[in-house]
Amino acid sequence: MSARYGMVIDLDRCTGCGACMVACAAENNVPPLPPRATDRTGLTPMLVHKVNNGVEGAGRREAFIPIACMHCANETPCVSVCPQQAVEVDKATGIVMQIPQRCLGCRYCMTACPYHARYFNWWDPSWPPGMEKTLNPGVATRMRGVVEKCNLCHARLHTAMEKAAAAGKKEIDMADYVPACVEACPTNAIQFGDLANSEDAASQAAHSPDAFRLLARLGTEPKIYYKSRQAWVRALAERSPNGHPTEAQHV
Amino acid sequence: MKVSRRDLLLGTAGLTAGIFFTPVPWKVLDDVSVWTQNWPWIPQPARGPVTTKLAACTLCASGCRMRVRMAAGFPVGVSGSATHPLTKGALCPLGFAAHQLNWHPARLHAVRHHGHAVSWDEARAAFEKAYSEGPVGIVDGHSGRAASTVLQSFVAKHNGNYEVVLNPEEKSLLPYAQWSGVPVNSLGYDLENARTIVSFSAPLLDGWGIPGRFTHLWAERAAGQPDPQLRLIQIEPKLSRTASGAWRWIPICQGSGELLAAALAKILIEERLVSGQSPAPPASLTDAATQTGLTAAAIRELAYAIVERRPTLCISDGESPAIAALNLLLGAVGTPGGILPKSVHPFAMPPASANGKSLRAVLIDSSVPWEYVPPASTEVFRFAAWDGGGNRSDWLLPSPGYLEESTDLPTPPTSAVATYAIAPSLLAPSAETKTAAQFLLQIDPTLSDVDQTIRARCQEIFRARRGTVHTEKPAPVTSFESAAKFEEALRAGAVWLDEPRTVSPLRCSLKEWPGNCGRRAPADWVDLWEPPVLPPLAAKLYQESSLRETPQRSQS
Repeated sequence: MSARYGMVIDLDRCTGCGACMVACAAENNVPPLPPRATDRTGLTPMLVHKVNNGVEGAGRREAFIPIACMHCANETPCVSVCPQQAVEVDKATGIVMQIPQRCLGCRYCMTACPYHARYFNWWDPSWPPGMEKTLNPGVATRMRGVVEKCNLCHARLHTAMEKAAAAGKKEIDMADYVPACVEACPTNAIQFGDLANSEDAASQAAHSPDAFRLLARLGTEPKIYYKSRQAWVRALAERSPNGHPTEAQHV
Repeated sequence: MKVSRRDLLLGTAGLTAGIFFTPVPWKVLDDVSVWTQNWPWIPQPARGPVTTKLAACTLCASGCRMRVRMAAGFPVGVSGSATHPLTKGALCPLGFAAHQLNWHPARLHAVRHHGHAVSWDEARAAFEKAYSEGPVGIVDGHSGRAASTVLQSFVAKHNGNYEVVLNPEEKSLLPYAQWSGVPVNSLGYDLENARTIVSFSAPLLDGWGIPGRFTHLWAERAAGQPDPQLRLIQIEPKLSRTASGAWRWIPICQGSGELLAAALAKILIEERLVSGQSPAPPASLTDAATQTGLTAAAIRELAYAIVERRPTLCISDGESPAIAALNLLLGAVGTPGGILPKSVHPFAMPPASANGKSLRAVLIDSSVPWEYVPPASTEVFRFAAWDGGGNRSDWLLPSPGYLEESTDLPTPPTSAVATYAIAPSLLAPSAETKTAAQFLLQIDPTLSDVDQTIRARCQEIFRARRGTVHTEKPAPVTSFESAAKFEEALRAGAVWLDEPRTVSPLRCSLKEWPGNCGRRAPADWVDLWEPPVLPPLAAKLYQESSLRETPQRSQS
C-alpha cells in the first residue's frame, strides 16, 4: 500500500460550528482541560480560526479556516528538528506520525511548525470520576509533557486495515477510513481521500482551480488543501494564521 | 593475574563504551518512556468488543439520529446517521460529546430539598400535599411525546394547568397559529422548496431548527455560489455565522427588523410587486430608513431582491407578527416553499399556556430549559438530570440522563412533514432517577402508561399505512407485516416520515397590519445551549478557541 492521505476543506461551506473540533477531541481521548487552558495551551488537534476580509461595514465578510497538522510531504519541518525521532512520516500513507513515547517535550517541533498546528500537553489527562468509561478504546491516553497533533485518526486507519486483512484484501476500502472531523462536518466541507489516486474525489478536488494550500511558498508540500471561490480567502493562503490581527484574526 | 588500577579503569571505560553498541540502553530508554506514559493514575480506556447502535439525541426536541459506538457497555463515540431524512447525518457540536454528560460533576444523584438530600417518598408526599391544597401546574418543554400525555392527563384529572415552553423557532410560527387557528406545533417551514429565504436575525446556519436540515440545503444550493439556487438574505445587525454565509448581508440597527418588514411590505404593495393580500402597513419609508440605518434606495432595492426569485420565505428569530404579515403578503403561507401545516399529525397537542389560575405548586419536566422561571409564590418541583445552578427550585428531582431514557420523538419543530421515532435507552438508568411521568404514575396509577401510549401510536401510524420508514434503506410502511414489526423497527432506531401534504389549506385572516412595529429586543439565542450543563469537551469551542461566547451557566 502506498497512499498519500490528505484533505480538501471547502471554506465556502464551513460555518464555523466547531463540530469537527469536538468530534476530534472525543475520538482521540483528549481530556477536558482546566478552565485556565487557552487556545495556545489547550489541546485542539483541529482548531477553527476566524478570518475576515479587512473591510468595515456592510462589505465585511468572514470565513472560517479549520487548521490541523498539514502532514507536510517535503522537508517536513517537525521531523527534521526532532532530537528524539518522535515524529515520523509514514511512507506507506504519508501521515506525519507523533510518537508520544519517544517525545521529550522539548517543543522544537512546535517552534518549527509554520502552521501552529502542534500543541503541548500541559496537564495530566484526567476526567471527572466515571467519565473515563467513555474513552475510545482504539486510542491510548497520553501523559503530560508531550506534544500532540492530528494524526488523521490513525486508529481508524488501523481498524480499516484490520478489516481489509480479515477479508483477505491488501488495500483498505476508503469508506472504512474516515477521520472524525470529516465524519462530523454537517456541511460535508471536508473531503478526505488518497491524493495519490487520481480517481479519488479528494484528489480531484485538490486539483480544482479554487484549491490552494497554506504557505505553499515554503515548499513543504502540505497534504491539507483548501478551496474557496472567494479571492480574498485564497489570498490569505500566504499569511500565517497567527499573523497580523487585522489580516487574519485568530479567535 | 594481577589486575592493576589501570586495567580496572580501562575495563570500566571499555564496558561503558561497549554498552552503547548493545540494545540494552535503548531498551531501557524505551521502557522508561513507556512507563512514564502509563502511570497508574492515568485513566485507560476500557477494553471490550466494540458495537455500533442507532440512537437518537435527546438534548433538544430535534431528536437527531446518531450512531453510538459502544465498548464494554458504555458509549465511547458518536457520529451522525446519514440516512436520517431530515438531519442528513448532521449533529450539532454538543451532540458529539454528549455521551460524556452522564458523568458530569453536576449530575444529580439524589432528591434535594433546598439543597439537602431527601427521599423520593418525601418528595411524593410533598407533591401530594400540594395538589390536595390547590391547583398545580405542569410545565413541558417537549410537547407531543407519550410522556407529555401523562403530564397532560394528570392536570386534566386534578384540575391543574398544563403549560408548554416554546423555543424561538416555534415562537416564530405563533402568529400563523393565531391567525389560522392551527396549533403551532402543527406548522412548519417548507425550506426545501423555497428559492429565496429572508432571515431576520434567525441563526439559520447556527443551530436553528433541526441541525443539518438547513445547513445541508445551504451547502448544496448556496455555499460559495455567486448566483446561488437558494438565495439567503440575512438581515441582522451583526456579522453572524449566518450572515457570513449569506448571499447578501443587510446590516440594520438592533431591533428594527419589524419596521423594515413593514417598509418592505409597503413597497411591495405600492409598486405592485406581489399579488398577495395583506392590509397596508402604516410605516413610512423615511421612518424605516431612519430607524434601520439603511437608505430608502437600499430598502427599495431589497424589496425588489426578495421577490426576484420566488417562492420567498421570511423567517424571524422569534415571535414577530410584522414578519409573518410580510410572508402573508408574499403568498408564502400555505404554499410550497412557505409555511405549511404538517401532514397528518396524530400527536399534535395544542400548547396550553398559563391560564391565570393561582397555582399552589409547579412541576417542571426535565425537557424544560433551565432558564425557565416558574411563577413566584409557588412550590417548585423540578426534574433534571443535571443541576444547572442557581436557586430556582424547592425540590430538585433527579431524572434519567443522556441515553438512559427510552422516549418517543414526535415531529421536531420547524419540520413541515410529520415524523415519528423512538429514542432507545442504551444505558440502564440509575435506581435513584425517575422521569416526571413515572413520578406522576406512582401517585396516580390510573394514568396511561408511556410504553402503552407509544405502542398505540405505532399501531395508529401502521393502520394509516402512510409514509416511509428510514433505516439504512427507506421502506414503505406497507412493507411491514404488522404493527409490532413496525414498532420494533422504530425501537431499533428507524424514523417514520410521513408523505408531504399535497394540498395545504392554511387560511390566515389579517384585518390590519400588526401593531407595535417599533424596536424589539432580539430573541435570546443563548438558549441554543439547551442543557443546563454542557459536555466538558464543549469547552474547546469557547475556552480553547473563541468560536462561541462563554456560556453563563455553571460549568462546575
